[in-house]
Amino acid sequence: MSRSFAVVTDSTADLPNEWRDRYGIEVVPLKVLFGKETFRDRVDMTSDEFFTRLAASSSLPTTSAPSPGEFAEVYRRLAKDHDGCISIHIGARLSATAEAARVGAESVEGFKVNVIDSQSVSMPIAFLCRVAAESASLEEATTAVDLRVAKCRVLALLDTLRYLEMGGRLSRAQAMIGTMLDLKPLLLVSENAEIKPVDRVRTRSRAIPRMVEFFRSEEPVEQVAVMHAQAQEDAEGIAANLRAELPNQEITIGQIGCVLGTHTGPRALGIVYLKK
Amino acid sequence: MVAATKATGVDGQLFKRALLGSLSWLAANHEEVNRLNVFPVPDGDTGTNMLLTLQSAVEDVKESNAAEVSKIAKLASHGSLMGARGNSGVILSQIFRGFARAVEGKGSLTPAELAAAFEEAANAAYRAVNKPTEGTILTVAREAGRAASTAAGSPDANVPRVIAAAAAGARAAVLKTPGQLQILRDAGVVDAGGFGLQLILEGMLKSVEETEPLPATISEAKPHTTPASQVSLPLPEGGWGYCTEFLIEGTNLDVELIRNQIEALGNSVMVVGEPELVKVHVHTDDPTRVINLAGGYGKLMKLNVGDMSTQHRRILETEGGVTAGGPPRPNGVGLAVVVAGRGLVHIFRGLGVDAIIEGGQTMNPSTQDMLTAIESVPYDEVILLPNNGNVIPAAKQVMGLTKKKLHVIETHSVPQGVSAVVAFRPERAADENLRAMKVEAERVQTIEVTHAVRDTRSNGVRVKKGDVIGLINDRLEFAGSDYAEVVNKALGKLGPDSYELVTVYRGEQASDDEMKRLESEIRSSYPGLEVEVQQGGQQHYPFILSVE
Repeated sequence: MSRSFAVVTDSTADLPNEWRDRYGIEVVPLKVLFGKETFRDRVDMTSDEFFTRLAASSSLPTTSAPSPGEFAEVYRRLAKDHDGCISIHIGARLSATAEAARVGAESVEGFKVNVIDSQSVSMPIAFLCRVAAESASLEEATTAVDLRVAKCRVLALLDTLRYLEMGGRLSRAQAMIGTMLDLKPLLLVSENAEIKPVDRVRTRSRAIPRMVEFFRSEEPVEQVAVMHAQAQEDAEGIAANLRAELPNQEITIGQIGCVLGTHTGPRALGIVYLKK
Repeated sequence: MVAATKATGVDGQLFKRALLGSLSWLAANHEEVNRLNVFPVPDGDTGTNMLLTLQSAVEDVKESNAAEVSKIAKLASHGSLMGARGNSGVILSQIFRGFARAVEGKGSLTPAELAAAFEEAANAAYRAVNKPTEGTILTVAREAGRAASTAAGSPDANVPRVIAAAAAGARAAVLKTPGQLQILRDAGVVDAGGFGLQLILEGMLKSVEETEPLPATISEAKPHTTPASQVSLPLPEGGWGYCTEFLIEGTNLDVELIRNQIEALGNSVMVVGEPELVKVHVHTDDPTRVINLAGGYGKLMKLNVGDMSTQHRRILETEGGVTAGGPPRPNGVGLAVVVAGRGLVHIFRGLGVDAIIEGGQTMNPSTQDMLTAIESVPYDEVILLPNNGNVIPAAKQVMGLTKKKLHVIETHSVPQGVSAVVAFRPERAADENLRAMKVEAERVQTIEVTHAVRDTRSNGVRVKKGDVIGLINDRLEFAGSDYAEVVNKALGKLGPDSYELVTVYRGEQASDDEMKRLESEIRSSYPGLEVEVQQGGQQHYPFILSVE
């Protein structure tokens, strides 16, 4: 490997396998637990398998962050052929993952690990990883990533708020949905992993154009991707729409992993981006 | 007819007697007016609405000893405006307003002046209505005025004869209304509002003809279903204080000055009246201070102090204690809706509505009910959703009465109201919200299912009392004997391919079995539609459906 430093992330980055292989990015999985059964996100269980299981399961799964020991193990392995490492993770407000990485890094002596709290979730973390991987040095990578942390955005359209609510991440009132009506919340995850409602719509077919419309008001963007949980067709429609508008932009379609899927539920859609 | 010959002019006390007479006559006959409702739906009844409006008109008049007809007319005008309910109530309030303007500054009216005032009252009502329709209360008011003028022109004209001519003119005009309006012809009735006005004029005539004073007690009209409208609001810190109401009787009272002083002591302030009589309404933490201040101006009457926190808690408890959600609005715009039914109240509260005025289908809230609610919203700009066609006119009246910037979005149904509120964004400016809310309200289709309250024909559909009837966007479209059948027909007419979601608001009287059957019927007939069931708890309408 020509690069002197390693790039590490976790499974909530929804890093496409192709990027992982091309850039040599290390992914530490979070875990999803169905009862007593534990699965490593995107390792033991694919996104499709997860949602199939979710649909059949009577109780909701839970999720857990990697342990500091698991991070230490990865860092120790990387220390063999790297001078240092940048480790970019899901927002510390949403998960204990970044904290586990920090503690794990401390236990590996003589290896420099810059742990970055992305303040975000999903593919914006993958964007940061790619920026880091394309940098010439660890310092340059850290600076470039630090500059972009505040620009990560996740615009998410949930088919139901139920999963996010069960996971304790957002109450109905916070989502402007303190009602029994089954509304489709459009949520924005911005700086400091703050989740705020930007719209609420009664039906999915009306919600999708609203999401695209909101995205437009956020342009220009540096990078963008469309995410989905079991909604490939909708995601492709949105991507085609965005491609027509932004012909020079690479627009990736990504799948929401098991851990994030536990909180978004099936049929969630997202437009994720780095603001310019 | 002893008194009649004495009544050479209409002074304040004679006019007061005439108003009390009209109230008692309308009270005795308002059910007759209710029976004339064209629409077979259990809707806000015209007779009840007119009676409640008239009661409010007379309320302050009863307390006044003013000798000038102008003063009594002004009190009646103001009272009717505050108490206006429903379409006909609002028009009635405009009739009183026109009358009061016509007699401004006059102590007593000659027969000719009285007739001119009747005519001006009708003109004012015409001007107040956007698209005046002939064959309604407007026509009746105009014909009454014309007949009065003709009578006033004869050499032996006197006050009772002018009023008698007005009443006879009204009666003749009422009988002609079916010839002017197809819907009345179809239903085989005369116009209810016009008949109400006829009763008011006849009541006036009776009171000026009679030598004996009227019985002291006037039977109070009671709406036959829900109790008086309640306004329920989230409880602010420190409670609401006390709702304090009274009249000040004095001389040269400065309404503006009193209002300014009272405003410093509380909120939801209303100070209205004339130099001799001022009505005060205020929500204050310190009623004693308010009373002491007002006592310095004159004699206090009808003093009423209520602990609003207790009242409010009681209302909330019966409501099931819904908490209104959310942080203060960045746009500073409040939301108020008119709705009835426990489930629907919960739904609107959960969507972030600040004030709920209970009412709608059968109990139309008055202008005053809505004004009080608007005043209690903690924002200076408020959007009000009437959610019923019959409530819209009174809602629009509130715009001229509140100092707040008030917008009324003319929602005709609960689904329209829900769609509008869902589109509300707290961070978006009022005009943008209004635009988005109107678009959403117009996009949704409403199906209402109820039972016909009378035999009639409406929109070409013949219905018998008790039939299940289905209305699409307020138009009667189908009649039958079964909820599911009528709903299926209505959905078929809307064209289910253009829609994706049906929300069923289940009313109080729909049973579990009926609900289940309706749901499974829709699912099997229209598999492409998502069906969501919500407990609406509304009366009279077993099912209200939102189709979008």
